[in-house]
Amino acid sequence: MLGVLRGLAGTLSTMVRKPVTIQYPTVHRGLPERERGFPLLLWDHEVGEPFCTGCHACERACPTECISVTMRDNPLAAEEKSKRRKIVGHYLLDYGRCVRCRICVEVCNFSAITMNNTWRGHELSRYDRADLVMDLEKLLAQSKARQIEPWVAP
Amino acid sequence: MSQLGDFFDNVWVDAFWRLLVVLVLMVVVVLVLTYVERKVIGRIQMRLGPMRTGPYGILQPIADMIKVLLKEDLRPATADRVAFELAPFLAFVPAFLVLVAIPFTEGWGVRVLSLGLLYFIAVSGLPVLGYIVAGWGSDNKYALLGAMRSAAQLISYEVPFVLAVLALSMLAGSLNLVDIVERQGRVPFIVWQPLGFFIFLTCVISDLTRRPFDTAAAESELVGGPWIEFSGIRWSILYALTEYTSMFALTLLGSLIFLGGWDWPLGRDLGWWWQLILIFTKTASLILFIMWATATFPRVRVDQLMAFCWKLLLPLALVQIFLNGLILVYGWPDWTLLLTSGLALAVAGYVIYATLRVRGPVRTIALRSGA
Amino acid sequence: MVVEEERDLETIDIHVNVGPQHPATHGVFRMVLTVSGEKVVDVVPHIGYMHRGAEKLSENMDYRQALIYQDRTEYLAQFNAEMCYVMAVEKLAGIEVPERAEYIRVILAELNRITSHYMFVGAFATDLGVYGTIFTYAFREREYIQELFESVSGDRMMYGYFRPGGVVWDVSADFKERVRWLCKQTRVGINDIERLLTRNEIFVARCRDIGAIAAEDAIDYGLSGPMLRASGVPVDLRREEPYSIYDRFDFDIPVGERGDVYDRYLVRMEEMRQSVRIVEQALEQMPEGPVLPEKLPRRLRPPLGEVYMRTENPRGEYGIYLVSKGGEKPYRLKIRSSCFCNLMALKEMVVGHYVADAVIILGSVDIVLGEVDR
Repeated sequence: MLGVLRGLAGTLSTMVRKPVTIQYPTVHRGLPERERGFPLLLWDHEVGEPFCTGCHACERACPTECISVTMRDNPLAAEEKSKRRKIVGHYLLDYGRCVRCRICVEVCNFSAITMNNTWRGHELSRYDRADLVMDLEKLLAQSKARQIEPWVAP
Repeated sequence: MSQLGDFFDNVWVDAFWRLLVVLVLMVVVVLVLTYVERKVIGRIQMRLGPMRTGPYGILQPIADMIKVLLKEDLRPATADRVAFELAPFLAFVPAFLVLVAIPFTEGWGVRVLSLGLLYFIAVSGLPVLGYIVAGWGSDNKYALLGAMRSAAQLISYEVPFVLAVLALSMLAGSLNLVDIVERQGRVPFIVWQPLGFFIFLTCVISDLTRRPFDTAAAESELVGGPWIEFSGIRWSILYALTEYTSMFALTLLGSLIFLGGWDWPLGRDLGWWWQLILIFTKTASLILFIMWATATFPRVRVDQLMAFCWKLLLPLALVQIFLNGLILVYGWPDWTLLLTSGLALAVAGYVIYATLRVRGPVRTIALRSGA
Repeated sequence: MVVEEERDLETIDIHVNVGPQHPATHGVFRMVLTVSGEKVVDVVPHIGYMHRGAEKLSENMDYRQALIYQDRTEYLAQFNAEMCYVMAVEKLAGIEVPERAEYIRVILAELNRITSHYMFVGAFATDLGVYGTIFTYAFREREYIQELFESVSGDRMMYGYFRPGGVVWDVSADFKERVRWLCKQTRVGINDIERLLTRNEIFVARCRDIGAIAAEDAIDYGLSGPMLRASGVPVDLRREEPYSIYDRFDFDIPVGERGDVYDRYLVRMEEMRQSVRIVEQALEQMPEGPVLPEKLPRRLRPPLGEVYMRTENPRGEYGIYLVSKGGEKPYRLKIRSSCFCNLMALKEMVVGHYVADAVIILGSVDIVLGEVDR
């Protein structure tokens, strides 16, 4: 009988402890800075264009082939306002296929892509799968609004 | 005014309004118990339980009720029509009928029957029929297996239950529930009959098919037992209403006959409001203990369940009757009751321990590295 | 008076389908039990519901990309699976791993062993019918460790943190204190759970002498890991063929006697404690330094050849057989899955027991369907 009583004593002791759950939609847990949300592109605020030059490195490195990039001549370079001669044209990233492995961030030579370490990188529910394919504006939106502090690997 | 008094003196009207009060009480209690159970189990598991429907989740039972009422009423096409529709009522009505015989305070009960205990035991054995009919009428292998298991379990555990309660009525000398409560006087019967109380509590947990005795509805094996095919309001009659009403009724009985009911302490002196508080506190503490046990223990396998009942509880109940008989016949003082019953409980505990003792820990090999 | 001789009742055995959708089968696994009354007469497992072609997909990926499939195959002991893979690639390509990376790998792999065994205890107790109490305790403890993993690698479950040659970046600054706190907390957590289960008479009655398998049979079936050790065979790959830096640590190996479900449970709980010991020792010894070798080629091209690397995963012996033709992508990546081999003994263990025990025995094998089906 003792084992049974010991079990009862065990649950009694946990009954009086503080619950460990938090109420999610009203309270958000803090995220570490290395958190790997879905990827975002970064905006260069000094020049006024994305960092991305459309070099296809991330597209080649992605294991699930969820990125699609095109490159074009940079009109700002002709006006001598930017050092980048080529800039990204179209950029499509399918969040439905992305596995958040961060290989695209590793291979990028220009630090143009980063993982979203805020809650907006996780709360992405949509009703239609096609709405999960993000284009250039959607990917740049958070960085343009200066709402992200990307973590750079040491 | 006297006409009104005459009106209420009529036997039928009197019975009707008393039944109405008990019915309302039962519905309120069931709603409260669904909420309390979820909160208590949540606390034991270190989480919060319902919090979003209403402040601290107190509107959760209302939400559950609305959800259950709005569900589609499914019935398998090959199910036996009569059996399927009759089963929930066969299970629920006896569970409610037992509340008729219970005296809530010194002077108030629906009817104070002189054979109240006998009535209680007889009627509380009837829900078994509902389970069996539900299992058969569902036309489902799993339901049938579950129904057979639950029939075996419920009928088996009735026997020690009845014997433990009978042992108690031997001491009190009557089957009238009011007499039993009053006979306890200064000392509730749990002190004289710890073994009887242990058997009673175990059989109550089994009668409610709660863990550790819930083989009938083993969720991880037979996913639902006899109630698999029932949904919506039918399921809630079978599961929520029957179970919580039985829990309420059986714990009321336990607190009346073992814990001193509305009488101890100082029941008769302080009036009916104190008696109500007493009886509801005792019932609540028994209910909380049952919920605590439910959240803690794993399930017992069906053959071990049967072995536990027939090989341990039944002989213990017979021993208790025998000891009571000896003490009453020879007129020994009351403390011998405590001594013998307590000893028998200790022996039972030792027997359980000895048969299941873990013989030594698992051995570990210490292999140290050479480097 | 003539007494008619008794004839046995004619009965048929029914097939009970513990189907792919079931609260207790730990994933999509189907067992067809042939039941006579309550006793199981035959069991036929059906697997393959979770086959996702991890091995074939890996043939199209270079070595860094193929790592992510290891997480997703063995999704409860991810670091251990990743470790086996990166060590296989290192063995083939002859890459030297810096010391600090070795220590980080061992700490994370042992912590992952602890989370995997917590998951086992939670699911096992739920199979027994404890209604979620042990499950929530186990997951609370697991959550603390997962938060550490999240702060190191960025993800709570699919880490992708190891690389051939080391780990992809160094750990965060508060790593040591957090791991120390975790070691203390894990001991408390294990005691919490053991208090409710180990000496509980109901638990013992349910698990003793159920699903026992003898030592010779265990070796014949090719069992490994806690299942083998619970049967009395003291084999642990961290001792037999020490890989990485396991030969520098002092730890014991729990070995059972009867090979029943209870012994397997005890072996796993004790392994958790030994893992805590390893982690503490590794924390003391961990040096500073780089976490990746300096001369790591950008595109890894291991020379022509093949290698088989095996490690002690929480579930048994996990092996990776890698064939390289000198290119960037593996020619063949075969995973020797521990759970797949452990499941072969299911019929021997289950036949003759009750239906309720079949579920418990399956729980004690501790399968991960991603690994069984790959």
